[in-house]
Amino acid sequence: MSERPESYEAAVERLEEIIDRLDSGQAGLRETLELCKEGRDLVGYCAAELDEVGEGLKELRLDDLAAKLEVGSEQG
Amino acid sequence: MGEALEKSGVTTLPGPFAVGRYARKLQEWMRERSRVQLIGEVTGVGRSKVQAYFELRDGEGAIPCAIWLNDLEKAGLSEGALRDGAEVVISGGPDYYPGGGQASPNFCFRATHVRLAGEGDLIARLEALRKQLRAEGLFELQKQLHRPALPKAIGVVTAESGAARRDLLAGLQRRGWGGTVVWGFAPVQDRHAAPAIGRALQDLAARPEVEAIVVTRGGGSLADLWAFCDETLCRTVALLRVPVISAVGHERDKTLIDDVAAVACSTPTHAAEAAVPLDCLAAKEGLERSATALRRAGEGAIGSRSRHLGALARGPERALQRQRSSLNQKIREIRAAAERGLAERATSQRRIGTVVLERARRRAAGADMEKRRVALHRATVTLRAHEPERTLERGYALVEGEGGEPLTSAEATAAAEQVKLRFADGRIRARTEGDVEREREA
Repeated sequence: MSERPESYEAAVERLEEIIDRLDSGQAGLRETLELCKEGRDLVGYCAAELDEVGEGLKELRLDDLAAKLEVGSEQG
Repeated sequence: MGEALEKSGVTTLPGPFAVGRYARKLQEWMRERSRVQLIGEVTGVGRSKVQAYFELRDGEGAIPCAIWLNDLEKAGLSEGALRDGAEVVISGGPDYYPGGGQASPNFCFRATHVRLAGEGDLIARLEALRKQLRAEGLFELQKQLHRPALPKAIGVVTAESGAARRDLLAGLQRRGWGGTVVWGFAPVQDRHAAPAIGRALQDLAARPEVEAIVVTRGGGSLADLWAFCDETLCRTVALLRVPVISAVGHERDKTLIDDVAAVACSTPTHAAEAAVPLDCLAAKEGLERSATALRRAGEGAIGSRSRHLGALARGPERALQRQRSSLNQKIREIRAAAERGLAERATSQRRIGTVVLERARRRAAGADMEKRRVALHRATVTLRAHEPERTLERGYALVEGEGGEPLTSAEATAAAEQVKLRFADGRIRARTEGDVEREREA
């Protein structure tokens, strides 16, 4: 799967399918290697997604965001 | 023009009447209407010297109301109870003031009694609203929205100083989630609450990074939570394109926003779990297991196939070796069999040759051969009878010279001096003495 997964849950769902298929032992060598590569890509994607929300909670105020937007539009 | 008016029927209506008279008739007619109770929220409270006036409204409409101050006093409300945002029940009926030379006419609902709305009034009103919104299908819209398992940013509408804020943050951190929280602080309990909450929700939903919104506040009476039953607010929530998770009050409190939201939770902690469905800590462990499973599958597939390939590669060599051994064995067997065959053939041929020669010899010899054999045998017996050994066996001795030559005369024996006497059982040496003694001739 070369394209980016639609979402984290879609990636995990596909990953589970891949592991089930590999566990079944029915995949041939070529398919196994392709599934392993796809699975590694998905694991990488999921890990990156988790990393994005793993660096500590950030808090913003809607008021501040609105003020920034106003400043930005004035400068623009 | 007159013709056009006639056609429209306007000129055929009764009247014209004097307006003041008509206004008084209208007043009479209104005062004859049934006296009823109305429930709604008070806004725009004002007072004159003789009466208090306000608007009673809900999501669908409003009516201007007025109550004589003496009637208000009789109602026994505490000081300041008739205030903006109060939910009240008023009793009375429609009234019309026709105005006068200096005063403007106006319409109002003339209340003769007012009381604060009780739980029962609110529940009845809530049920009516619930029925209406359900019938319009507004409960289903939010529930059809996709809620991401791992949002990067969530919006939260709550009171800035409430315990709900703290509980929600704790819930998010317990899931190991460290994304962005965009706070949309709003009052959660007065008549400004519902519009402010509605604005905050719309502003949060307008931000592209916000993937889910939590609306939360702590518990309270239904009157305290009434802002979350506001019809306008609930219609706003129903139509938002971002999923809203409500956690208003405690488990027993069921507000209208719970019905229209995508998910209704009993506590802010549960709302945190609904806003971030994925437990990030567990997900990381699961991901590590998946990575291990993939690595093993890949290595296993290559390893087992390499071994298989290796075995296949050795197969032809082993097969050749087996064939070679088999061939060698056969060669040995053939050689052994050939040697056995040659020997047997040679023996057989030798046997055959002997028989053939014997037969040929016999054929060549013919009948004389047998006679000769008999004569030969006879001669042999005769010869053996004449052998010296037979004579010696009878007691005779033979004199032999030093060289073993027989000495057959006395002369030769005397001359020899050293002789051997040969008996049947052996020889002895002997010496001769004297001359030959001649036998006297008789």
